[in-house]
Amino acid sequence: MNLAIADGKTSIIIGANGCGKSTLLKTIARVLLPASGDVILDGENIASIKTKHVAQKLGLLPQGPITPEGLTVKELVSQGRYPHQSFLRQWTSADEAAVYEAMQIADVAQFSELPIDDLSGGQRQRCWIAMVLAQQTNFILLDEPTTFLDLKVQVDLMRLLAELVQKNNRTLVMVLHDLNLAAAFADQLIMLKDGKIMHNGPVENVFNAANIKSVFNLDVDIIIDPRSKRPVCLPHLRSASVCALEPAL
Amino acid sequence: MHSPKLTPNEPTQHELTQHEITNQEIQWRCFGQHVALSFNKRVIYSLLLLASAVVLIAIWSLFTGSYRLSAEQVLSILLTQQAAGASDDVIWLFRFPRTLAAILVGMMMALSGAVLQNITRNSLADPSLVGISQGAALAVVIAIVVFPEFDQSYRSLLAFFGSILVTGLILFLSHSKNNHKPIRFILLGIALSAFLSAVTTAYLTYGQLYKASAALGWLAGSIDGVNWQDVRILFYSCLCLLPLLLLQSRAMAIMRLGDTTAIALGGNTEVQKYSLIAISVALAATATSVVGPIGFIGLIAPHAARRFCRCGVTSHLLLSAVIGGLLLLFADIVGRRLIAPSQLPAGVLTQIIGVPIFIFLLLRKQARSHL
Amino acid sequence: MQSPKPAFFYHKNARVLGGLLMVCAALFLLHLAIGAKALSIGEIWLAISVFNSNNFDHMVVWNVRLPRALIAITVGASLAVAGAIMQGVTKNPLASPSILGLLSGAAFAIVVALGWFGIDSPLYTPWIAALGASGAAIMVALIAHAAPGGLTAHNLTLAGAAVSAFLAAIITLFQLSNEDDFDDLREWLSGSLAGNNLDVLSSIAPWICLSLLAALLLANKITLLAMGDETAKSLGVKTTRLKLQLMLCVIMLTACSVALVGPVGFIGLVIPHVSRFFVGADYRWVIPISALLGACFLLLVDTLARVVISPAEVSTGIASAIIGAPIFVYLIKVKLD
Repeated sequence: MNLAIADGKTSIIIGANGCGKSTLLKTIARVLLPASGDVILDGENIASIKTKHVAQKLGLLPQGPITPEGLTVKELVSQGRYPHQSFLRQWTSADEAAVYEAMQIADVAQFSELPIDDLSGGQRQRCWIAMVLAQQTNFILLDEPTTFLDLKVQVDLMRLLAELVQKNNRTLVMVLHDLNLAAAFADQLIMLKDGKIMHNGPVENVFNAANIKSVFNLDVDIIIDPRSKRPVCLPHLRSASVCALEPAL
Repeated sequence: MHSPKLTPNEPTQHELTQHEITNQEIQWRCFGQHVALSFNKRVIYSLLLLASAVVLIAIWSLFTGSYRLSAEQVLSILLTQQAAGASDDVIWLFRFPRTLAAILVGMMMALSGAVLQNITRNSLADPSLVGISQGAALAVVIAIVVFPEFDQSYRSLLAFFGSILVTGLILFLSHSKNNHKPIRFILLGIALSAFLSAVTTAYLTYGQLYKASAALGWLAGSIDGVNWQDVRILFYSCLCLLPLLLLQSRAMAIMRLGDTTAIALGGNTEVQKYSLIAISVALAATATSVVGPIGFIGLIAPHAARRFCRCGVTSHLLLSAVIGGLLLLFADIVGRRLIAPSQLPAGVLTQIIGVPIFIFLLLRKQARSHL
Repeated sequence: MQSPKPAFFYHKNARVLGGLLMVCAALFLLHLAIGAKALSIGEIWLAISVFNSNNFDHMVVWNVRLPRALIAITVGASLAVAGAIMQGVTKNPLASPSILGLLSGAAFAIVVALGWFGIDSPLYTPWIAALGASGAAIMVALIAHAAPGGLTAHNLTLAGAAVSAFLAAIITLFQLSNEDDFDDLREWLSGSLAGNNLDVLSSIAPWICLSLLAALLLANKITLLAMGDETAKSLGVKTTRLKLQLMLCVIMLTACSVALVGPVGFIGLVIPHVSRFFVGADYRWVIPISALLGACFLLLVDTLARVVISPAEVSTGIASAIIGAPIFVYLIKVKLD
């Protein structure tokens, strides 16, 4: 496949379960090695750049991360500073500031001394996001960051990420399972099926019923959200016959 | 409810050196923040406390023993360093090297265990899991039982290579391009260790009794009979390996987060992993080659360190090392004194003493830092 | 989870089960056939069906080989099932009966009985072993229960490791301090199938059968437990009670095995892994497959042990590790790759 990620924009990868979204993201992040071909970061082959330097430019939040026992929130977020540290530079004031800022943005500052095991699923996820934010990278890759989060938190998180893209000119690549969330926030939408890119482009062009049908095998209607002017897909939740039996509301 | 306020430190660009002392940390920055270190206060206090304990018990070790010496005699021998008779020999040839060896071996085994537990992400990992003790044991037993004419002064070297060979074999067998599960490593280690143990036991069981007894003595792990040469070996290997380990300790910290996250943060390289394993094995193999297999310290010292004080990986390594040294030293003294004049081997005693301590730590309500 | 009856026989696992049964039977006959004097299958059949007390060969079969073969099957199955249960309950693939301190406890009791009380009679050995094993297990359970977090897999494993190491160290001390007395003990401590007769087996067998049956019946709940306490509870499993029941099974199986042959540690650790390689993580299959695999394994090992340095024999514990480890290593490389 050939994929170009636009700079300073939000690119969202969607697709059915098992189509290879996570694999694609991990390959972009050099966690997995491509069987053939290259990943180019800032004009260079990512495999030839020192992994620590890659980590200074590119951050990844994997799906279902492993939390070691007993780690506090601040300790976890501090791990994100690893690429910027060395044996002698273990904890600069820049590190301190980055961690503080990341925790504020992700709204976990009030938990900073608590062990992560004591937090709820959603709070834990925000801690991990804070860790990636503390890395202060230009590229942020997130693998299904909105799992476990309730709707308000999902929306807040997506808004926050959108702000990062706009104000700080970061580039975001996300894997999402929620089509509408993806459509609402993506600049570039990539639809994956069986390991191949089926459709790739701006949301208005790509997000239509025919494409969704071909990729997800789902019948939908597309309407435009009056507030955001973004497409919203409405899956046909009930069959026509059932609808017919219900009294008109 | 009081929630902690976070105050970011404003970087002052004009200061060359900057010391921040907060409630919990001492931060030390200089050279325009090219050197920026942070020390957890609790860790420092703990280390000081434990180090003093080690020194005190070491002094006790010098004073106790079958050969009665008064305090003045010991002090005068230490201070004047004059060999003037049997009593000096006792201190210089036996007790002092033994004390130092106990501390060093304890440290090395503890560090080895801590690193293994981190790499394998399994809190039950122990140097014996990767066949170090078994490899050394088998090499020595074969030397004793099969080639009794063999010069026993080469025993240490044999043991060392036995360990390295076995670990190399396990690493080779567990290497796989795609699948980096620590569980493979552990399972292979167990299988190979069991195999070696069985072969060793076979030699002991079917070999002649007197040879077997000699071997059994070594196998129990005894600090009895170490000389200054041994101490030198231990000391220099510690001197080489410990700094290498500390340099890698930050890499260990992110490895706890799982392979994917660690790679994403720029760590978890093959070089890092293999060098950590190599250091861990070298530490344990050297220690085992000098005094025989000493179990349990590699397992419990890291756990004990964690219970002592919550801290980052580097501090944890240091704490584990000191606790390991303390534990073995204590075990050795008890071994010497309990049924004096006979001696109980330290390797066995570490388990007998170490276990109740471990259980006590297990039972203590975990001090989770709740606000 | 319903599978229509005829499909059962086509189910892959059922075929593995069937295959293993046949292998087991074959190994059983092989075990009976091989020995100081090789006997043919026909002679064995005659010995069993038309027993003639004057025929020396028949005597050998009945008094020596048959008990030994039966004990091999029993102990192999018991230890394997005990190990499977332990790995399921503790969710730790490194778990085995020795982890709970059972083997060390039994060995310790025997050593103490010999050293302090001078009890040597094989009549008492099984019960002493059982007492020791149970004592150790109870101590482990108490410690785990008292630790923060309660009777979790993690605490059980840690407590078990601690108690095992402690007891093993004391045993070593005994050995070191009194080498002559413990020369015989060395043989027993490495596990031996020699020197047992049907009487001992028949008195212990009911307990083993009971425990194996219980394990089979509880097998599907073990699968649920292996998915996590919370998941199991939400599916209606009373986890604490189940864990206690399973622990009881494990103690019984291990104590009986130790009573029969002394501590043999490799089987309980390795065989469940092998079963899981073949049939996955459903304990309704893992338990019976482990039992059969354990039985086959021990039969094979014992046969080889008696043949390799004939007329002397290699002790069972040693042989099982020496033979089992390479097989295990091979399987790890092949299956976990």
